[in-house]
Formats: sequence, C-alpha cells, structure tokens
Amino acid sequence: MRLKKAHIKILLAIVLLTALFQQKSHAQSFPVRPGRLLLNPSVTYFFATKGWDSLSVLKPFANNGKFTSTTYNMAAQYGISRRWSVFAQLPYVTNSFTQTGYANHNSGLTDLETGINYYLANIDYIYYFMLHGTVITPLYKDNPGLGYGLTGAELKLSFAGSGHLFGNHTFFTLEDGIRQYFGSQGPWQNRYSGTFGMSLDQKFMNQVSVSLGGFYSKSDFKAFNVNPATEKNFAFNQVTLSYGHSFTHEFSVFVSGGTFISGRNTGDGSSASLSLVLRPFK
Amino acid sequence: MRHLTKYFTANHLFRAFSLLLILAVFNWQSVTAQAKKPANADGDVSTEVVIHDGDGIFNSVASFTFSVKNRLPTDQNGTVSYEVKTEKGDKVLDKSMDVHISSGADKDIDVAVPNLKPGFYKINFMINVTEYDDTTRRAFGIRPKEITSEHARPADFDAFWQKAKDDLAKVKPNFKVTLVPKKGTEDRNVYEIQMQSLDNYTIRGWMTLPKTTNPHRKFAVLLGLPGYQVDLDPILGSDPDLAIITLNTRGQGTSRGPIDTRRDEFISYHVEDKDRYVMKGVIMDCLRAIDFVYSQPNLVHDNIMVSGGSMGGYLAIAVAGLDKRVNLCSAQNPIMCDIRGLNGEVDWPMSSLKKYVATQPGLTMDKVFGNLDYYDGKNFAQDVTCPSLMGIGLLDPFAPPNNEYVTYNVIPGKKRIMVFKDLAHEISGKYKELEGRWMRDTFALF
Repeated sequence: MRLKKAHIKILLAIVLLTALFQQKSHAQSFPVRPGRLLLNPSVTYFFATKGWDSLSVLKPFANNGKFTSTTYNMAAQYGISRRWSVFAQLPYVTNSFTQTGYANHNSGLTDLETGINYYLANIDYIYYFMLHGTVITPLYKDNPGLGYGLTGAELKLSFAGSGHLFGNHTFFTLEDGIRQYFGSQGPWQNRYSGTFGMSLDQKFMNQVSVSLGGFYSKSDFKAFNVNPATEKNFAFNQVTLSYGHSFTHEFSVFVSGGTFISGRNTGDGSSASLSLVLRPFK
Repeated sequence: MRHLTKYFTANHLFRAFSLLLILAVFNWQSVTAQAKKPANADGDVSTEVVIHDGDGIFNSVASFTFSVKNRLPTDQNGTVSYEVKTEKGDKVLDKSMDVHISSGADKDIDVAVPNLKPGFYKINFMINVTEYDDTTRRAFGIRPKEITSEHARPADFDAFWQKAKDDLAKVKPNFKVTLVPKKGTEDRNVYEIQMQSLDNYTIRGWMTLPKTTNPHRKFAVLLGLPGYQVDLDPILGSDPDLAIITLNTRGQGTSRGPIDTRRDEFISYHVEDKDRYVMKGVIMDCLRAIDFVYSQPNLVHDNIMVSGGSMGGYLAIAVAGLDKRVNLCSAQNPIMCDIRGLNGEVDWPMSSLKKYVATQPGLTMDKVFGNLDYYDGKNFAQDVTCPSLMGIGLLDPFAPPNNEYVTYNVIPGKKRIMVFKDLAHEISGKYKELEGRWMRDTFALF
C-alpha cells in the first residue's frame, strides 16, 4: 500500500505540473501590450496506464492500474508597461487512480502561480528575450494528491520570435526555467520547452504548432528511496501538437494533444486539452 | 572518407552519403543547365559587380569582384578598367588591365582599394572588349561614422526657429475635421483635416482612423510628411492600432493656394530671404500638425512618429529637431542635408537654386547658402533627441550618402541607419518592415 501511495503521489504531482506547463508556455514569451488583459481558461484531461521506473524501464501499472486527471485552469496576464506584465494562474484538479481492488480520488485547488514578466531585449524587433519570475503558493494543506504543499519560486528565461516559411507566418518559443520548492524536502526542477508554430493562412486565423518540453526534477533526499520524497527525483519529455482557430482578434480556441516520449520515475501518459484565449478589452 | 568513418557511425555515414547524393544531383543539374546554354550567336557578354560588404561600407580596404561571362561564340579581347572618384567627381584611382575571355568562359577580377579617407566614393567598372562595351557604376563608403561637415551651424539657429515657433503660436489653428465617407473603407474612416498655419496659411491633409465601437479607444499616430511637390492622399492600410495622418504642406497637393509654383520653382521660392523662404512655412506646417494631434482626444499624444521620404525625410528630421513632442523620427533619403556640401555633388536642387539666382539681380549663391544654413537638415539633426531611423541609398543622386551620414552622425539620440548599396533615391521594403516593427515595439503595440 505504501508503494501505491508513492506512485499516486508522483503521478498526481507530475500531471499537475505537466498540465499547467502546457497552458502557459508561449503566451508569456512575447511582451504584452500595456493595459491589455489576456484570459486563458482551459481544461486538460490526462491519463496513464503505465510508467517508467527509476531506471527508465517502461512497465504497466500493477493490478490494471489507471490514472486519470482533469485540470481546470484559469490563467490571466496583464500588461503593466512596455517592459512589465503580471500573470497568475489558478488550477483546480480532480484525480483518480484505480487498481483492481483499490481506488483513490482527489480534488481541489492546487498551486497558485503568480509572477511578473520582464521584456529584456529584442533582436530587430523580431526575436524577444523575456525574463519571468514566479511564486508558487499551495492552496491546500497535507494533501500529497494535490502537490508538494510547498511554496516555491521560479526564474525563467524565454526566447521567442516570428518569421515566414512557405509564405506563411511562423513563430517559435524556447524557454528554460529553474524552479525551487522551499522546505527541507523541496526539489529543484529544470523546466524547458521549445515550440514551433505556423499559420495556415495569411490572417493567422488558423495555426498549428508542435512543442517539445520536459522536466528534470531533483531532490537532495534521494538517499532515502523508500521515502516519498524520493519521488521528487524524476524526469520526462513530452511532445504536444496544437491547433488554434481565431474567431475574432479577441477570441481564439486551441485544442492540443500530447504524449510523453521518455521518462524516469514517472507515468507514461497522454493528454488532451481545450483552451480559450480571450482579450476582453480592445 | 576514411576520416569520416573514423568519426561517424554507419547511420551518420548513410545520411552523409544521402546528402552527397542530393548535392551531386543538384550539381549535375547545374552543370547540365550550363551545358544546355552554350555560347552561340544569340549569346551575350554580361557583367556583374559584387561588393564584398552587405552595406557597401568598409573599414579600410574596399574590395569588389568584377565578373564577366562570355556567352558569345567568339573569344573576347580588350581591357577591363576601373576608376574611383569622390562624390564630387575628383579622381582618386584608376587602373586598367588586358583581358582575354574565351568563348563560353567566365572571368572574375578581384579589386581591392586601400588607403582611402573616411567618406563615400564612386567606383565605375568599364569593360571594352571585341564585341562588348559597358560601364557599371557603384558606390561604397569608408568609415562613414567619421564623416563630419565642414560647415558650421549659424550661431542664432535656435533663436531663428524659436521666433518662428512663437509666430506660429500666435496663429489660431482653427482645426477642422470632416468625415469623408466615400473615401472610407470597411475598417477605416477617412477625415479631411484643415488648419491655419504660419502667416495664417490654410493647410490640409488627411487622417484615417480604424473603426471602433469603443468610444475611449486611443490610437498611436503616424504622421506622414510629403515628398517634393507630392500630393498626399489618405493612407488606409489595415493597422487596427494606428491613426495615419498625411499632411500636404503649403504649396503642395490640397494645400496649394497663395503658394502655387511650378514644380522646379518651389525649392527656391523666396530663398533670397531666410525669413520668407518657403521651407520656413512648410516646416511650421508640420509643427502645426503636431498641434493638431495634441488637439485630438482620441490620439495618443506621446506616441507620434513622423516619417517621410526625400523632402518628407528632411521634414521629419526638421520637425523632430524642433519639436520634442515627436517620439520617433523616420527619415528616408532626406534631401537638403549639408547643403553647402551638395554644391558640385548633385544636379538637383542646385540647378534650380542657381537658375533662380540667375534671375534675381544682386542675389548670389553665397547669400543663398547663408540663408539655407538655417534650413540645413544636419543643423536640425543636432537637436533630434528622440529615437530615429534613417534609410539611404548609396547611388542617390539627390541625397548623396556623404551628406546623409554628416546628418546621421550628429543626431544625439538613439539612432539606426539602413544603407542600401544598390539603390538610388529610394529604400527597400525591408526598411518599411523594420520601421513598422520598431514603431510597434516602441509604442508597445504588441
């Protein structure tokens, strides 16, 4: 039973991380117009029936184990000035892990993320460097199914740009962030992603993108491998495909599908998400 | 290949082989394409000059390659020569060499020009062979950021223009904005604008605004300034964030009236008197347009870019120098820069000025140059503190690169120049693309 709980904990933690990771990726990589509010509500469904062990060996979950999770996330970004913008995201998660003769369910608000974006520099007004600072505040207590329960902070650098290919608009983002959860068992994580997108028409009404990203998470408490803290040592990479359609300049819809492609100490899952991008004020 | 196998795996080798195969196929196509066009009676001799710097700007040694292709059925014998001159036409260097170019052959001649002082130079490549004569003209620069003017700004330059601004302030503007529905589009409204300027002259222009249902929406401003004797129309475009104002300054387009000269006479209109010279009113018209922007509550008053080409570029610099309400200055091929230095370098506007002087008893070019010192683009540029962008063509016959750099070099604000080595009195689309991105970034129109 103890191992089962450990599995659950890591799966829950990672699904939260990955679901949120996908949502906020490229919106923050470009500067935001002062006074503009961007709202990004989304829902993500994740499921996994197998996982990688500590040696990156892929195995089915024992006893027909299945993990599913649905994340409802509201993200917002607001332009303060040419260089500064602020953001926040509030996720609500429902998790379920079932095995033959066992079921575990969890739900609740998880980690609130608030932060600032700083527009560092550009190259020819095409390529942008941004710096992002995030504070992670857990909105729960003593519920490992919802996350680490630790306050954290992240510093991230992003590089993004746009261009043309085959007569269509293109864009890309590259991001790398270092996150530290505070406390004696808090892991540090390297979170990275790269996205390439292309419009399917001249007016950017339809676009597709592909992302490759992942985590590398490490805790100082790796020596105690029977302790749940050891599950803070994990890594994975995932690929995500997205399609977006802009109904108006103020309203767009994105659908995404993603799957893990490699991992260690983590579930091998796939996800699907639906998100909206709203600009309520012109 | 043995080196390759030392470092590459079989997979790498396979990929490398595939790449080589692809390259070989392309190369074969290239060779066969050439073979399909053998020298024949319908062939020709063609030449090309390659300047070995993207902008035609060198630090010390200027280098070129003069390429000749002989597609005639006969060998060509003769000479290839080149000469380097200053922009005023003083010869700096000339060389000639005998050449023999076989039928169907190509010949590349590398040329290096060392030991030149900072400045811009013209280089002409001449080919004179059995059945072909041609001259290819190019220009290049040597350390242009070291170029300075030999002519000082008048000591009372600031006082002169302060008085002009004071006189303008005494004129009640009477701004009028009239919607012109028939010129509008689905996305934009077009307005005719009218105002009173210096000497109570009535000037007109156009303003186009994106249609919006938000009554509080404010727009950044692009103020387009006119080229010489150009009648500016409304500019529509599809930018949802920008108000575009085009101004017809006095004596041009819809602002002809008391000043209604023939085209070549406008530049010399009252040049005998610095207080009455037509450009004084023209420049004040542009400042009045800034007043107009400030009078409009739906325009963002600290997001104003002035932009123009030729005379419009000159006016952009003049306005940005005189009026600190301008936030961005974009000048393309500005004329009337380092005016005394233009003498002997360009035909126009010197020809028009000299023609005018010849018709005015007692008026001399010295007197005209003295008056034009108050209107010299480089003298306004010294006060341009807002970010600025300038575009020049190295082959420009009206705004030579020497004079442009004299002006650019004295701008104290943040600045950038785009040099087009193969263009004359024009800039390429790349400039306009950069200008748009620069403006949107500066005004935070992300």
